Amino acid sequence: MSSSSILNIRGLRKSFGATEIIRGVDLELRAGEHRALIGPNGAGKSTLFHLISGNLRPTAGEIVFKGQRIDGWSPERINRHGLARSFQITNIFPRLTVFENVRIAVMQRRHVQYNFWRRIEGMRAIREEAEALLERVRLQHRAGTLGGEMSYSEQRSLELAMTLASDPQLILLDEPMAGMSAEETQYTAGLIRELTAGRTLLLVEHDMDVVFSLGDSISVLVYGQVIATGTPDEIRQDASVREAYLGEEHAA
Amino acid sequence: MLLAALPALLPAGLLIASNQMLVAALFASAYSLLSGRAGMLSFGHAAYFGIGAFATVHAMNAVGGAGLLPTPLMPLIGAAAGLAVGIVAGWFATQRSGTTFAMITLAIAELLHALAPQLKSLFGGESGISAMRMPAWGLDFGSTTQVYYLTLCWVLLSLALLYFHGLTPAGRLTLALRENGHRLRFLGYNVHGLGVSAFAISAMFSGLAGGLQALSNEAANYAVFDAGVSASVVLNSYIGGVGSFFGPALGAALMSFFGYAVSDITQSWMLYQGVLFVGVMMFAPAGVSGLLGSGSRLFAQRGWKLALPVTLLAVCAALLLSAGGVFIVEMLQRLCSQDYRAMAQAAAKLPTIALFGRAWSPGSVLTWALPVALLVLGAVLALAARRRLGANA
Amino acid sequence: MDAFVFSLLNGLVYGLLLFMVSAGLTLVFGMMGVLNFAHASFYMLGAYFSFALQGLLGFGPAVVVATLLSGLVGVIVERFFLRRVHAHGHAHELLLTFGLSFIIAEAIKLFFGNFPVDYRIPASLDFTAFRIGAQSYPAYRVLMAVVALAMFGALYLLLTRTRIGIIVRAAIHKPRMAQALGHNVQLVFMGVFGVGAALAGLAGAVAGAFYTTNPNMALEVGVMVFVVVVVGGLGSLGGAMLASLLIGVVTSLAVSVDRSLADLLGFVGAQAWAENIGGLMTLKVSSLAATLPFMLMLLILLVRPRGLMGEKN
Repeated sequence: MSSSSILNIRGLRKSFGATEIIRGVDLELRAGEHRALIGPNGAGKSTLFHLISGNLRPTAGEIVFKGQRIDGWSPERINRHGLARSFQITNIFPRLTVFENVRIAVMQRRHVQYNFWRRIEGMRAIREEAEALLERVRLQHRAGTLGGEMSYSEQRSLELAMTLASDPQLILLDEPMAGMSAEETQYTAGLIRELTAGRTLLLVEHDMDVVFSLGDSISVLVYGQVIATGTPDEIRQDASVREAYLGEEHAA
Repeated sequence: MLLAALPALLPAGLLIASNQMLVAALFASAYSLLSGRAGMLSFGHAAYFGIGAFATVHAMNAVGGAGLLPTPLMPLIGAAAGLAVGIVAGWFATQRSGTTFAMITLAIAELLHALAPQLKSLFGGESGISAMRMPAWGLDFGSTTQVYYLTLCWVLLSLALLYFHGLTPAGRLTLALRENGHRLRFLGYNVHGLGVSAFAISAMFSGLAGGLQALSNEAANYAVFDAGVSASVVLNSYIGGVGSFFGPALGAALMSFFGYAVSDITQSWMLYQGVLFVGVMMFAPAGVSGLLGSGSRLFAQRGWKLALPVTLLAVCAALLLSAGGVFIVEMLQRLCSQDYRAMAQAAAKLPTIALFGRAWSPGSVLTWALPVALLVLGAVLALAARRRLGANA
Repeated sequence: MDAFVFSLLNGLVYGLLLFMVSAGLTLVFGMMGVLNFAHASFYMLGAYFSFALQGLLGFGPAVVVATLLSGLVGVIVERFFLRRVHAHGHAHELLLTFGLSFIIAEAIKLFFGNFPVDYRIPASLDFTAFRIGAQSYPAYRVLMAVVALAMFGALYLLLTRTRIGIIVRAAIHKPRMAQALGHNVQLVFMGVFGVGAALAGLAGAVAGAFYTTNPNMALEVGVMVFVVVVVGGLGSLGGAMLASLLIGVVTSLAVSVDRSLADLLGFVGAQAWAENIGGLMTLKVSSLAATLPFMLMLLILLVRPRGLMGEKN
């Protein structure tokens, strides 16, 4: 099992002063697995994402990604190692065009960040890659619009495109459907399924339909600990999960 | 938004002023690369301008006075010095962001300002260091005309390079840095490195501008590190408007021009500049260039019938407000001056003050009613302009 | 030894003075997220107001009125200027306060002239407090220290023990929540800003009589105060106290050190060589005293970016 595991979290803890938010999390993801992470509000799901992606430093425990310990690494180093994440609150470049947003994400792998002697318009490979990415998220018709002027779900699609630009092996998506209508949710879910085929995905979601359709397996995070991991059916029947989700109709 | 540069402007006395305008314009453009495009407000940019000036002066004096490089290439020394110091200073400063960053840049400039008078061999103490321009490439560089053309060439070249920078990957990333530096980290970028790069390039062109000034003045003095120099480039850039490429240069040119024109007439020019700056920040954040842009858009989109009256109202309002304000400030300035106080103590009643060709008595109500009336009228017109604009939306 | 104690005490007093000014700044920063560039201008205004009123009201009342006037100016700045540009973002607010500090300095030059004014301690307070060896220590310095400490104590108690203090702290950390609970957060902002300005004004009124009062005061103290905030850690009152004292003492002690790097190298026999090089080598520590706080700041940024007592970000 551990030979093909791409992400391995052992005994992870995080405290903010006297308050412990993550109280010993063990999580293992195999390469290509699509895992949904669910749990009540305040369970620590976003904190967990921040820890994995390098936004926060763990208080204790280890995070092993592709065989290397990444806890304590900077976000950029983790990203270059093959991990990308999206944000719950849309985190794009609002006053740049959609095309530019994606282009910036794409540029990183070409190592041109200090290049001040060539026009970027002349760099065809970058332009083509950005256009291709826009097509995949079906935003090519909005390429010239400013990021901040798009509709909410269009921005979420853009966010997705930027997350994928670095061609990551592990993708962390933090509530990608937050605030979407049922129609938009369905559309985006389909998009996510398409884009994450062949990659490992860890997804935080509240919408149970999405969870069951996108996730091969589910982990339940309650009060800073993973109380159960398994297939959707197993989770549905797990007593401790039902207890944690008092009043949650879908767990029935 | 295109400014056509006019090399054909040639009355002699104004040439020196024009030279200074060009240098200020370049300095402002270099500054706004960091503050406007990268979004990192620096309050201590005089440091790199000054380092460039001193490096150039030393280079001019080197090799027994013959100069390290031929005169036309001297500004390169300024650029190199600015770049070197910019990398070091930027490495420290960009570790923090926002206000703390601004304070660090200010502290670095103040550090130099405090240190410079102590290091006499480097900075020449009170009187500074002087040098002489050497002939090169068949020209003697003795006349102001030649210096002007040299400055013009360098400034145009630098502006072109700065503009080009915005088209390169590094330039686009600079914008991204301003928009959402946090996200850049998660996209794999070393944000600190990007910050240092923007800082260094901005410092390099500032150093070049300093070098041009040193070349033209044939001297450098530690007063160039003064906080006022850093302050004026900030004011110039934002009054001009950092949203467009030529905005800061325009602001610098306007402010230099006015400063030159009115510095004999009034002692309160700095105060006016400050008020103008605050006014811009509060009411016209895009600066003068932004106003020009909105103005032309107004004419294009809404047509003459609406745009012309609004513009006239706005211009009249601005003139009236300025007139009223200037009157009050100038009166106060004379009222509070040492000479006047001495006169007032000697005489029995308050002596009159001569202003704009007439004598005004500070005690009379009329004297103060006039500017107040101007201000009120100006405010009324401004409100009228705004209402017209809004009513026809 | 006497000289050392003398310098040490002077340093502590100067440090406490810095603290008086930085305390208000730290509080306002915690609330608005932006460091008010014009904060040190309130310091300068306090000194000038007090100077202008001293003839009319006498020293003590002049100081009190000057404090209140500075606070009033602070309230005006917040209400009519800062509030308007709040929506445009932090950079905008910073630029605006920068512009305001510029205008205040120029206005002072307009009314009072571009040179120091003769604001001094009244004769009644100009006596010796105690002696250290052969030197006498002025009572006024002790007074300044007492005022600063009293202020620290009062602020601390106010913030931690009173109802107002709790509301202010709530507004600082969670403004929307405090507003939802029915507190007028706008008023709190205005109030804290005004109090911060008043404290800076008090510091100016008291210190201006002892040190010099000139239009450059704001810049000199302002930069130092920000160094304090960077070294001490943003938002930490204790850090501001610690950093202020540290900077005060280091600067004061350095001024009395009349030696240079060359003298130090004398220990290894390299003095003559160093003196030949000149420049930085022969620079006396006393000449560098003014630059030491900046070096300390750069050092802190290198070694401990969050400041001595700041929170990790």
